[in-house]
Parts: sequence; C-alpha cells; structure tokens
Amino acid sequence: MSPLLSGTGLVRNYGATPALRGIDFAVGEGEIVAVTGPSGCGKSTLLHCLSGILRVDAGTVTYRDQDIGLWSEAARSRLRRTEFGVLFQFGQLVPELTAVENVALPLLLAGSGRREARRTALDWLDRLGVAELAEQRPGAISGGQQQRCATARALVTEPRVLFADEPTGALDVLTGEQVLGQIVRVAREQGTAVVLVTHEARVAAYADREVALRDGVVDPTGLGLGVAG
Amino acid sequence: MKTATLARLAVAGNRTDVLRTVLTALSALLATVAMLCAATVLSITGWADRYSVTLLVEPGLRPGVAATLILVSLPVLALAGQCIRLGAPARDRRLAAIRLAGATPGEGVLIATAETAVASLLGSVAGLVAYLVARAAIGDQHTLPTDVLPPAPVIAFLVLLVPALAAAIGALLMRRVIVTPLGVVRRVRKRGPRPWPGLLIAVGLAMFASPFQEHLPVHLPHWLPHSKNMTYVLLGGGVLLTMAGVVLGVGWISHTAGQLLRRYGRGPATLLAGQRLITDPWNGSRTMAALLAAVIAGSVALGYRANLATTFRYYDLDNQIMGYPYGRGMSAGAEPSFYFNAIRLVMVAVGLSAAVAAAGLLIALVESIVARRRAYASLTATGVPRRTLSAAILWQTLTPLVPALLLAMAAGDALLRLVPTHYDLGRSYRECLADNDALAHCHTPAALHLPNVLNVPVPWAELSLLGAGALLAVLVAVGVGVLVLRSSTDLEELRVG
Amino acid sequence: MSTAHVLLGLLAGGPRHGYDLKRAHDDRLPRAKPLAYGQVYATLGRLERDGLVSEAGQDREGGPDRTSYEITDDGRQHLDTWLSAVEPPAPYVTSELFSKVVVALLAADAGRARDYLVAQRAAHVSRMRELTTAKSEPEASVGDVIAADYAIGHLEADLRWLQTTLTRVADLQKEVTS
Repeated sequence: MSPLLSGTGLVRNYGATPALRGIDFAVGEGEIVAVTGPSGCGKSTLLHCLSGILRVDAGTVTYRDQDIGLWSEAARSRLRRTEFGVLFQFGQLVPELTAVENVALPLLLAGSGRREARRTALDWLDRLGVAELAEQRPGAISGGQQQRCATARALVTEPRVLFADEPTGALDVLTGEQVLGQIVRVAREQGTAVVLVTHEARVAAYADREVALRDGVVDPTGLGLGVAG
Repeated sequence: MKTATLARLAVAGNRTDVLRTVLTALSALLATVAMLCAATVLSITGWADRYSVTLLVEPGLRPGVAATLILVSLPVLALAGQCIRLGAPARDRRLAAIRLAGATPGEGVLIATAETAVASLLGSVAGLVAYLVARAAIGDQHTLPTDVLPPAPVIAFLVLLVPALAAAIGALLMRRVIVTPLGVVRRVRKRGPRPWPGLLIAVGLAMFASPFQEHLPVHLPHWLPHSKNMTYVLLGGGVLLTMAGVVLGVGWISHTAGQLLRRYGRGPATLLAGQRLITDPWNGSRTMAALLAAVIAGSVALGYRANLATTFRYYDLDNQIMGYPYGRGMSAGAEPSFYFNAIRLVMVAVGLSAAVAAAGLLIALVESIVARRRAYASLTATGVPRRTLSAAILWQTLTPLVPALLLAMAAGDALLRLVPTHYDLGRSYRECLADNDALAHCHTPAALHLPNVLNVPVPWAELSLLGAGALLAVLVAVGVGVLVLRSSTDLEELRVG
Repeated sequence: MSTAHVLLGLLAGGPRHGYDLKRAHDDRLPRAKPLAYGQVYATLGRLERDGLVSEAGQDREGGPDRTSYEITDDGRQHLDTWLSAVEPPAPYVTSELFSKVVVALLAADAGRARDYLVAQRAAHVSRMRELTTAKSEPEASVGDVIAADYAIGHLEADLRWLQTTLTRVADLQKEVTS
C-alpha cells in the first residue's frame, strides 16, 4: 500500500543556497513522524515543500498518488483548508480576528456558512480546553493558549495530514507538553498523520519514528556521522 | 468564499486600518464631489445667461471648466488608491496568515481590494449626499448652477466609477506584492527603471508643436486633417503625453538619484537614503508624480497668461499703429479680465492639486516611518543619532524631487515656448501700408516709441514662485514626517509586541 | 548517603516499620533500583547509631519482629541541613556511558566507534519514546510522570552531550590533522 504522503528526490534552493539536496520521505495513514536535525538542516523547508506551501525545484511530492507539484498555487492553497492542517511556531493567528473566528477561518474560506463554521470551531476550542477564550483576540491571551487555538485551527477541518513546525518552540516545558499531548491524542483519535518538525529530542519522542536531517539530506545515524559537511 | 466572509475579512483591522478606511473614504468623497460638479457644469444647456460667472455662460468654455474639475479629482483619486499602502505591513501579515489558512492568491488580492472598494463606495455615496445637501443649502442663486442636475444614470455611473477606479488603482499597486503563506515578499526588480519616458516627453512636445509649424521644423503629415478639432487633439494630447512622460520618468530619476547618492555620498545618511531609493524607486514617486503634473499644468497656465497679456498688448499696439480709433480693429472675444479670471481658476486648481499631492506625500512618508518604527527605535537605541535618520529622510525625499521639479518646469516652459513667442510690430506697419484702408492712419513703431518686436516674456518670477511653492509644500510634509520620526524612535516602540 | 536521607524523610511524617519504609521508598521512587530489606535495616542501624532515629516500639502481631522507628530531633536537624545544602555539580562523573563514549572516540577504531555511538543513540531515543508514551497514558500517576520526566531529562542531556562531544572531537581531529 503506497504511503499517504511521500516525497522523492526533493531538491529546493533559496537563490544560490541549497536547502534540500535530494530527500526521500514518506508518511503513512495515521503515522506520527518526527523530522529532526540541527538548525539550518532543512527541516522547515521540507515541511513547506511537503505541504505544498513551497514548490520544489526538483523531485516529486505525491499525496494520495497525485503529484501536487503540478498543481497551481490556488489548488495547493485549497489543500490547506481541506486535507492538510498546518501548525507553526508563530504567526499564524490573525491578530485582528477573535479566537473562534481564527479557528473557523479555514472552514469559512472553504465556503461554509458562518453559523455552522462557528459551531464547529467552538467545539474544537472546547476539545482543546480553551472554549472560554472564544471571543478574545490573540493579543490578549498567553502563548500556550494561542498555540492551543492554533492547534484547534489546524485540526478543525479534520485533515488527513497535520504539519507541525516546532509547535512548542516558544513555550515552556509544561505548557509545551500539554499542547503536544493534545496534538497526539487528537491525531490518534482521528487517524491523522502528523509530520512533526523539531530540534528537541524530548519532542521527537512523541512520534512513532524519526527522520533525521543534516545539511539538506537524510542522516540515518542521527549524529551527523558519515554525512559530508 | 461567501460574501459575508469576504466582508468580515475585509473590515478586520486595527486602528491603522480604520485610519486607512477613513482616508480612502474621504478621498473618494472629494473626488465624487468634484466629478459631480463637472457633470453639473456639462449639463447646462445653451447660452446660460442666468449665471453671472461668464465661464458658465458660454457653451464653448464649459468643457474647459469641467475638464479642470476632473483634473482636480485625479490626484484625489490617486490618493485614495495610494491609501491601500497605509499600514501595509500589518495588513500584509494578516493576508499571509489568511493565505496560510487556505486562501488562494486571488482571494488574497480580493480581500485587500475589497476593503478599498467598500471604503471608496462609502465615500462616494457620502459625496453624493454632500453634493445634494450643498445644492439645497446654496439655494437658488445666480452664480453657481444649483438649478441643474445631471441625469440620474450619469450620477449613478459617477458614484460607482470612483470606487471602481480606486479599487483598480489599489489592485495595480498590489501587483508587486506577493503574499505567500510564509510572509510577504516584494518582487525586487533586477534592473532599475529605464529612461524610456524621456521618449514620451519628446513625442508629446512634438505633438504640441505641430499646429504651430510655421515657426518650427516640425510639420504635420499631409494625410492628417487640418481642422480645428485636430489642433485641439494635438495640443491636448501633446500636453498629456508630456505630463505622462514626466510622471513616469520619476521612477528612473529616483533610481538614478539613489545610485548617485550611494556612490558619491559620504556618511550614513546618504548611504541609507541612496539604498532606499534604489530598492524602491516608486515609493514616494507616486505622490511626487501628482505634484509634478500640477507643476506642469501651472507652468503652462502661467506661460499662457504671459502670452495672453502680450497678445492683448499687441492688439492694442497694433491698433495704435494702424491708427484705428478705440473700439475698432483687432481685439479678443471678450474683456481681458474674463480670460485672466479663467487662468486664476486654473491656478487655484493647480494649488489645490499640489496641496493634495503634498498631503499624499506626507501620508506615504508617515506610513513608511511607522512601518519601520521598530528598526528605527533599535537604531536609535544603539546610538545612531536621530538627526542622521532625519537627514536620511530628507535626502531620500529631496534628491529626486529637485531634478524632477526642474524637469517639470522645463517641460511646462517648453510647451509654452512652442506657441508664438513674439509679435512683429514692424510687420503690422507694413501690413497697414499694404492694406490701404481708408480709415487707417499708419504709424511706424518708432514714431510711437515702441520696439520693432514684441517679445513674450518668460514669467521667471511666477515660475520660480510655483517651483518654490511646490518645494515648500514638500518640505512641510517632510518636516511633519520628521516629527513623526521623533515619536517613532522612542524606546517604547521596542517593547510593542 | 542519599538512601539514609530518603529514609529520614519518610520517617519525618511519623514512625514506621522497616518493611513499611521499603514499600514507601519503592512507591515514591518507582524507577529507581528497588531497595533490599537488608539495606533498609543496615541503614536504619547506622542511623540509630548516629542518634538520628530511635526505636519507637515493638509489635509482635503474628510475625517476626516489627520494630517501628521514629525520627529524633537530631535526625530532623540533620534532614534540614541536608535539604538546604546545594548538590555540587558533579565534578567526578562515574557513569558507564561516559567511559564508553570516551573510549569509543579516543581509543577504538572509527568503524567500531561509529557503530557503538549509533546504537547508543538509537537505544536512548527508543527509551525516551517508551517513557513518553508511558507518561502520556491517562492512568499514569503523578509519581510515574515525574519519574519519567527525570529520566527523559537525563537521557536528553546525555544525547546533547553526545552530540556536542562528537562535534568537539571532530574539530580537534581536524585541527590535529590539518
């Protein structure tokens, strides 16, 4: 059975700087995979390429047996409001909208009516334990609460794949643990696959398996042994 | 995306966004009022004796008045469209977050321009209301055409035109801004703007010159009809092309000024200014363009006034040479004061446009300062003196402005130089002799203590005043901008989340 | 002598029997090596000799001697002093891991060193995963969670140290061979 999402021979450069130098990656249904490595190894770039936010310069990204690299920017954007969920370290909640509006945003963009989207959003906020913050703006709540709202938003469309890039990077240990625990719990309940980018071993320990990167390639040893550069 | 969603996303905003909406609406209001007035003037039919303002009475002059009014509304419209860049960084971040949540690029631009369109629509409707209220308030007088109403379809069209134009200008200004889910990237030009607008200026001047071909080596091609309408088209087209050339050439001027500053300037202020100009030559140029167009129009008007004055004097002198008694011989179609009033009206319009352009420049300047306030605050915190930053702003604004102003005044002057610039009194005397008119009593110019040739003077004093006025308006705008800089470099700004 | 201090701490709540102490120790510190009875009594003997605990009474309820012990004032004083002293950052590392890594990097051949290090890391990572799963379970008690945290923290520190050491040694080798 072919994996849900896979990338083969992925290459991506930023101008003259290579970020990914030929990476093979695969994640199956309901699997949690951690992508680890030191800073600058290309983990975030890999995440952006797999989720269709960035186009690869070479290689193919296959989702459900379709090459999404061939899709238009609009089509790939639409993926993010249906089958993919994204959760970043910062900067994804719209500061001028309330928490519930933020969570409902992907649904609204996909064409849902306001009342229905709002109901679903409130339900998700409740599942993540922040229902009482529904009418607050992101600027008025703490970092941990913001990340929980962002998690709700990433999961509100019941995506097949959740892309999380250092979701607990800005949080203290206990708050981060709570957020991670909730992500893992919901992912297991819904059968959502998770691609979790982190540089911390304790966060990677929440995953079923680990893919270590170093300098744009996969590092099977995890310690940079036998990898040039 | 449903309309309700679009509306909610379009109006989501903080204080700066509210300010932007208000400014856009205000500009739309002014533009609509100006256009409605122009439409009103054009709706007056026939010889309207009932008005005391002669400009409105004659049917041939009304298009000119309407055209002036429309020309005044253009910088205001440009201001409305330019407002889309106010508070841009926060709005761009918001758009990036919305894109991350799954909006397509088209939907992103739609949300941004929807805000401008809605604000402009509110403004234009308010403008309509203001116009109707003013009409009722002024009542039945004989100076302003308050008894005439443009036809309803025209009113509806104008009220809808303003938001459409504002949204179009806004969309145009957004075309270089790529909103990706990871943040906003501005497409950087690899090469700077090219000087091809110079070609536009040359063509425009040639077009303007062609009706006066007996004075110049430029001749109209034979296959073009030599009619009065054709002359107007060539004259008007020539002026417009010249203006367009100056306006579009501003980008190249800014870019080149930036390169010069960077190469020859010493000190951090010129370095900062030069690099900013190179990276974004069109930043302040849009408002500068409106200012330049106003200056060109003003130069042409001043030159025309000098020409008129000389022409009237020529008529008088010619009559004297011919020996005609007062009341006969050559004269203009109406009292000189009529023409001079018309020119005064144009100068007022030019002044207004310049003020609006300076206001636009101030807005653009304030917006760019506020957007960079954290960078400025940290620069100040590390010890860069405020006067260096202020100096950088001055350099950045004035270095392209001074040559551009000179170019605008030169273009205006060139336009008026193409019109006949001297009157040969000697020829009048010879014509008098040749005519053999019984009533004429020919005099030589010398006998009347007159020179042989009457030159149209270049109104240096008034032109300098115009240029200085424009420069002053810009300096005031920059001064206010520097004050804003002062408050933006407070260390409090470093703590703003 | 931390076993003695743990026992003192357990007695501070009230007198207990020897086997109670062993059970309490194992409950509170589930992932540590379980305490042997012999060790409990030996430690209690030392503490009594030092005057930090005293016998509280004897029960003979159907079974072997069940002496219960209680903490003395001296004992409480000793406990206070120990609790208020800062643990010095370990100057002498006695861990097995440390010796192995050092030997692997500086003495063994490159191939064997690499194999050992990769296997060691994989073992650490796998153990961390087990611990994380265990502590995320809904039935996990507070004791389980904080014990898992302790272990995870140390495993993470080991990994980090491993990585840093590798980089240092690589730099050193580069310096030496350049």
